[in-house]
Amino acid sequence: MRYVIVGNGVAGITAAFTLRARDLRAEITVVSGESDYFFSRTALMYAYLDRMTLRDLEPYEREVYDVQRITRRRAWVRSLDTAQHRLTLDDGSALSYDRLLIASGSSPRRADWPGLADAQQGVVTFVSLQDLAQCEALTPSTRRAVVVGGGLIGVELVECLVHHGVEVEFLVREPSYWPVALKPDEALLVEEEIRAHGVDLRMREEVARVKVDAAGRVAGIQSSTGRATECQMLGVCIGAQPNVAWLGGALDVGRGVRVTSDFRASAPDVWAAGDCAEIGRILEQIWYSAKRQGELAARSMLGDDIDYRPPLFYNSAKFFELEYTTVGEVASAPSGSREYFHRVPGPRASVRVVEHEGAVVGFNMLGSRWNHRVLEQWVRERRSLEAAVADLPRAQFDVEFGRVRVTA
Amino acid sequence: MTKQGTAGWLLHDVKNRGITAWIVAALLTGFYIALYFTEAFARIARAVGLSNKWDLYGALYTIAVVAGGIHVIRKYAHNRYQVIRTVVVMIVQITLGFSIPQLLKVLRQPEYYFSYLWPLKLDYFNPGYLFSLPLPYILYSFAGSLLLVPILGLFFGKRWYCSWICGCGGLANTFGEPWRHLSDKSTAAWRFEKVAIHSVLIVTLALTGLLFASYGAGKRYPELQQATIQFQTFYGLIVSSVLAGIVGVGLYPLGGTRVWCRFFCPMAALLGLVQKAGRYRIAVKENMCISCGMCSKYCEMGIDVRAYAQANESFTRASCVGCGLCAEVCPRGVLRLENVRGAAPQTQMLVQITNAPGGGAFPPARPN
Repeated sequence: MRYVIVGNGVAGITAAFTLRARDLRAEITVVSGESDYFFSRTALMYAYLDRMTLRDLEPYEREVYDVQRITRRRAWVRSLDTAQHRLTLDDGSALSYDRLLIASGSSPRRADWPGLADAQQGVVTFVSLQDLAQCEALTPSTRRAVVVGGGLIGVELVECLVHHGVEVEFLVREPSYWPVALKPDEALLVEEEIRAHGVDLRMREEVARVKVDAAGRVAGIQSSTGRATECQMLGVCIGAQPNVAWLGGALDVGRGVRVTSDFRASAPDVWAAGDCAEIGRILEQIWYSAKRQGELAARSMLGDDIDYRPPLFYNSAKFFELEYTTVGEVASAPSGSREYFHRVPGPRASVRVVEHEGAVVGFNMLGSRWNHRVLEQWVRERRSLEAAVADLPRAQFDVEFGRVRVTA
Repeated sequence: MTKQGTAGWLLHDVKNRGITAWIVAALLTGFYIALYFTEAFARIARAVGLSNKWDLYGALYTIAVVAGGIHVIRKYAHNRYQVIRTVVVMIVQITLGFSIPQLLKVLRQPEYYFSYLWPLKLDYFNPGYLFSLPLPYILYSFAGSLLLVPILGLFFGKRWYCSWICGCGGLANTFGEPWRHLSDKSTAAWRFEKVAIHSVLIVTLALTGLLFASYGAGKRYPELQQATIQFQTFYGLIVSSVLAGIVGVGLYPLGGTRVWCRFFCPMAALLGLVQKAGRYRIAVKENMCISCGMCSKYCEMGIDVRAYAQANESFTRASCVGCGLCAEVCPRGVLRLENVRGAAPQTQMLVQITNAPGGGAFPPARPN
């Protein structure tokens, strides 16, 4: 059996290892145009921050791929021919498969601001190894940068720039930081944390026009409020979209590759998983979902009966030093919910527990550590708000001697 | 890598095996060679009013621990485990590691270091020396090594000693902070570690046995005494001077801070075996790891912590000294040091993924 996996991100590599664990004789080939070896994309910022080398970002020793007999192929895939069971690569060669997994991930959403098209240099995104190389190359000649986008990648890029001594202006379109996940009182903590690091954070402001110098490098922007500001780097962090353009019309594509609950795409012997997969109109685009989907898609390819339903949502993040854990529905909780919110006096920390119709449905925790599995358990048990709040210390995961007092 | 910014080239260079790091390593190594094999420091010691070169060394060592400790406390001020641990390390060094032995000398008592125990300090189980001490010291030596080491090790892991009390660990975790990430994380290094550290333990146990045999045999067997003294001299040169001092500290800027502790220390070997049977573990929060590798990078013992974290396995590794830095640097709060009843040692996951195709190498994520 010849398995081919397009993409060596966490979905693709998890699938490759899962296939090998069950099928010792299969030929497994992983194709990537971005990198020779799987690396942790979520750790990209630590390379930019000089806390890690590029090699440190690789989660497995390189010999592992030989030991596990996983063939790595460095190429961009140009097209897919589902009838012939064949991929065409950018070096012109063809790669045939018996079963194909598409795990091509996502790439940064592009902006269409006036003037942006004229900028040949200085506009960066922060998703790929190539992005990192570009950022590192531009940093020494950057005194001032503007970063756009109030999500997770934006604040990562801002933190890296601040580390390198770059003056940063951070533009966020929304009235409060990351409103799809944080309520305004929580966003306030995040905004405080960002500003505490000397960042000029401006809410409700967008780019109206990009200015470019004679050499084609970004020279500044004009914002939606009419304010003009100078910068040598412009970071665009306004979301991600599935990498599906290369498929042409080979598969049924909505926002992502449309797959059924067993990860099968519209053509025979083709599966998709991770950021690029659209399952029942849902795109799950975080590290945890990609890892989970990669494994389950591989099991589906091996013949297991898979009926995937996205589990209870959870996620984690870190805004500068401020740690964040979320479980279930908080910002998206239905109206008529009851909640407990406590801003811890002293350290920058807060807890929020949301209850709907007598059962807890979500948690947003900032500035302290939590075992999300315990919180999930409470949601499944349909605990009441009071019972959950009373038991909060049991779900805490802070370091020894360091438990944050989270109730009044 | 840093061209502009807060880190600066010098700091970066000295932390990452640049030319400055080599110079610092040469100076440290030179210092230890001069200390062990010449009397150069004896004059300086007398000049500053200390009785011998070892007292001068103790003073310098204590200064390094305190200065490094202040830096560490400021750096990790938000982490109470690190703050409390570092304060204890500094206090132990100032008192048990320096001023109390000095005070004992003034009081015409033996110069005894309560923070060092056999098998790290071979003399404290060397009957020829041990039985020359007053009874309380003899009792402390036995109680320390035979009761404290195993009992506290079973309850708290080896960290109670290696990261809270021991002077070697104390220096590594304070003065050595800038170099902790240089430890070798490869599987090959792990294989060498297992052979090397247990070999030293066996040699130490053998020598201790020989010391007791030779003491018991007394003057009736001069050959045995002679051989024992030779063995002891050889051990002192190789283990105590070369491995603990020159390699252990001299190479901080090149090989990281725990080379001695990880590869050679007989106490660490013994405590590691105790730890595997005890309650200490690093708990891994399920499916929360993003494989970033900060934990592995900053593990001074070269443990590939990420391998366990991304496979959702709570684990106990013999070499882990419980410094807690993996938990500190983890950006997703995945790791926590714990003492729990029935902390099962990890499975053979790591060995399998590097040694066998398939073979259950990739543990399935638990269903949600």
